[in-house]
Amino acid sequence: MSVFQKAYRGDIHIDFVGHRKRFFIFSGVIIAISLLALGLRGFNLGIEFEGGVSIEVENANEVSVTEMRDAIDSIGLTGAKVQSVRDLSGREDIRVETEELSSDQQVELRALVAEVAGGEVGDFEAVSATFGSRVISIAIRALVIFLFAVTIYISLRLEWKMALAALAALFHDVLFTAGIYALIGFEVTPETIIAVLTILGYSLYDTVVVFDKVLENVSERGERHTYAALVNMSMNQVLMRSINTSLTSLLPVGMLLFVGSFLLGATTLREFALALFIGIAVGTYSSIFLAAPLLAVWKEHEEHWQRMRRRVERKGGAGEYAAKGIVSPDETPAEIAASINAAVARAPRKRRRHR
Amino acid sequence: MGRRVALITVLVTLGLIWGSLAAVLGTGTTPKLGLDLQGGFSVVLEAPEGTDAGVLEKAVEIMTRRIEALGGVQEPVLKVVDDRNIQVELPGVTDRERARAAVGTTGQLEFRPVITYSTIGVSPLLFDAQQANALQESLEASLQEVEPTDDTTTTSSPTTTSSTTTTTIPEDVPLDLAGVLPAGISLCEDDVAANDQLGCVDPVTGLSVGDDPLKEAWLLNPETGYIYHVAPACLRADWLAGTCADSRLDPTVPEGEQRALLGADLAGSEKQYQSQGGGGPIGVGGGGVGQWVVILDFNDEGAAKFEAVTKELAAFAYGDPQRQFAIVLDGQVISAPSMSPEITAADGISGGTAIITLGSSDDPEQEAEDLSVVLRYGALPVSFVESTSQEVSATLGSDSLSAGLIAGIGGLILVALAMLLYYRFLGLVNIIGLTLFGSFVYVAFGVLGATSGVTLTLAGVAGIIVSVGITSDSYIVYFERIKEEVHRGRSLQSAIDHAFARAFRTILTADTVSLFAAVLLYFLAIGSVKGFALALGIATFADVLIAYFYTRPAVALVARTRFGEGGRLSIRGATGAAKEVVL
Repeated sequence: MSVFQKAYRGDIHIDFVGHRKRFFIFSGVIIAISLLALGLRGFNLGIEFEGGVSIEVENANEVSVTEMRDAIDSIGLTGAKVQSVRDLSGREDIRVETEELSSDQQVELRALVAEVAGGEVGDFEAVSATFGSRVISIAIRALVIFLFAVTIYISLRLEWKMALAALAALFHDVLFTAGIYALIGFEVTPETIIAVLTILGYSLYDTVVVFDKVLENVSERGERHTYAALVNMSMNQVLMRSINTSLTSLLPVGMLLFVGSFLLGATTLREFALALFIGIAVGTYSSIFLAAPLLAVWKEHEEHWQRMRRRVERKGGAGEYAAKGIVSPDETPAEIAASINAAVARAPRKRRRHR
Repeated sequence: MGRRVALITVLVTLGLIWGSLAAVLGTGTTPKLGLDLQGGFSVVLEAPEGTDAGVLEKAVEIMTRRIEALGGVQEPVLKVVDDRNIQVELPGVTDRERARAAVGTTGQLEFRPVITYSTIGVSPLLFDAQQANALQESLEASLQEVEPTDDTTTTSSPTTTSSTTTTTIPEDVPLDLAGVLPAGISLCEDDVAANDQLGCVDPVTGLSVGDDPLKEAWLLNPETGYIYHVAPACLRADWLAGTCADSRLDPTVPEGEQRALLGADLAGSEKQYQSQGGGGPIGVGGGGVGQWVVILDFNDEGAAKFEAVTKELAAFAYGDPQRQFAIVLDGQVISAPSMSPEITAADGISGGTAIITLGSSDDPEQEAEDLSVVLRYGALPVSFVESTSQEVSATLGSDSLSAGLIAGIGGLILVALAMLLYYRFLGLVNIIGLTLFGSFVYVAFGVLGATSGVTLTLAGVAGIIVSVGITSDSYIVYFERIKEEVHRGRSLQSAIDHAFARAFRTILTADTVSLFAAVLLYFLAIGSVKGFALALGIATFADVLIAYFYTRPAVALVARTRFGEGGRLSIRGATGAAKEVVL
């Protein structure tokens, strides 16, 4: 039976926690690259954040980018960014972006651009810099509050350590997406914020479902397995579900990507869909290969679970889900004695008193 | 779940949702499309810091009436967003400059007697200052000549005049205007807020900044380039006596004391075509065929004031600038007509009507119309600054809509196919559920659009597309759980029931996180992110409802049919387990 069929039936036993080192290293590399990209290149902010004027016009006269730029320079507006883009119907447009302009300058620029390109103005936007920075601060504030509220909710519903592990996976996802944007140089617009929030929401959602399963297994079989084994068990059980969910999320986004970039060739739609696509894929990856192993390692250090590990290993029942690579701590004879005593402590006493 | 209960629940749910869809489609309450899906113009106007909420509401009212009077805009949306911004959305508007002017113009109108004016674009104030300087110099020069008589030994030649005066005045230094400003008016200072120094004078240009109708001012006519020195907007007698006060401008003045002649004294204004050149008692005749003018109708009190003002003005001779009065709109002179010679100081102009003749323009009729609309509904209570504006052409709008629809529907179809592949007949349950989901969202947006003016934007469409993934996940969680329970050895019936109990908990937990995100975003963000949040919230809510009221009973029903226990296509077949094992 193929791996896929096994997974479909729920028959697989992949050791996620045991192999965690390679996942951690992989994630580490990704984060390092992203940080590098962010530090060196920074973001390409759109006018909604920096302020400015953006005009997208149909390039009926088929002028080149340099011709347009020269025309704009000639009316005294230097430093304009001019590029050729494809709009939503696949038609070739020219997009001009400048810094903040006065109303009169806006009118002048619009007339000039329309004349040079010879086509219809599709999209015209003017944003003041103060408004742009307000949008940024509002977005950041919303993000912080969201993370805070979600952490509290997950802590209440599941466990606080799970909340933190989920947050770690989140940061990883967002950092990675930001790194991609910085590396490739996509423009950061409010739609980017939407993409990032979608990825956040999706990653959290996925992680919560996985952890929910872990919690369930802990409550049902927590007496017989180490935490790492429980996590492995849960992961294998939800693997199919996780893959299915990413697929059903990626399908509509993939459609958007396909429609956007191949069918129509629309630039902004393609960038948005690509960001979403990569982000959702990374979100799935981080829930399974990052958040869960992290949680396992963390929880294993708790006293209760260390005792459990020793007990399981002593009984020799490593089980099919045991995680290789997690070793129980060295014990002194005194500790062994103490744990044995603790294990048999209760029952006899009451009877003795009765005598 | 009992068979009857399941059947009833499913039928009721299907009926409700599909029924409301039919109702919405039938009554035409389709979702309102946002600007980026149908084209139009939108602008966000920012009020000064600390503006009262009531003031913002009043401004919205005035702007709405102006837009409606202009016509040609279907369903404009004007609303206050957060504490100092007004968002104006005008779908279908093609002439953005007109629309912009209509909502952005403050419309503060004043009638001020002219004192003097300059035609060469230099403020009369600068002339005064220069004259004062020259006077000063010659005064000092003559003083110099008088001085040396005390000192006979050192005879510095007394005839050398201004070139050797101790007070050197280099020629290119900005003229000091402070010396020639009338009492009560100061030079503008950079670090004082504009609102605290209304009517101050710019030290370089000699023009007034921030128009205060109760003070003298130096104002520009942007079309002719003339700069006028005007008196306060009261009777000359009041001005000279110092009693020019108005309770509408200064709250410390007792109510009823309204001596200024302002736009608030108008009862109405219309555009009018006047043949044979400027008619009426005032206004310089344009000559020729005719022209568009704006008629101003004063109310009773305004008419009386107007008559009194014109009587005063008529006392000056024809040709004297002081016979003119300036019509000032938002701190700029739009017209400064002189009264025709027939009007005497005894009559003034009665009848309470004034005429504004416009300067040259490409479309005088439109200009007259726009101006009359702005004046008709009164001035905006505060002046706004444009913080962002966006114009989307109709073609771009409809392209965006089609792209969104194709992606959305295409995505839905793909997801449905995938679910069929994985879960066989259960996938069919899912497909019906997806149609329910789509209907719910459509109805929600339609109703919200009709009641609260909520529009569906491209961001909203993106939100819905993303939620398709989330709602499919609910099914997946449930179905996988059923699989698990069956593998544990439960009978199909009990597997379904147990699975749902557990799965719903998971779905609820995870969907709450999504709802959190949506609600937070909605209240904290502005613009397109808000639309996304709304779509996400509605979709997530739909998901929870449908999972409980449809999926559960539907699966229970299916299990009882041969599709439950049957061959490969059935539920049991999908779980991949052998036929029921008796424990």
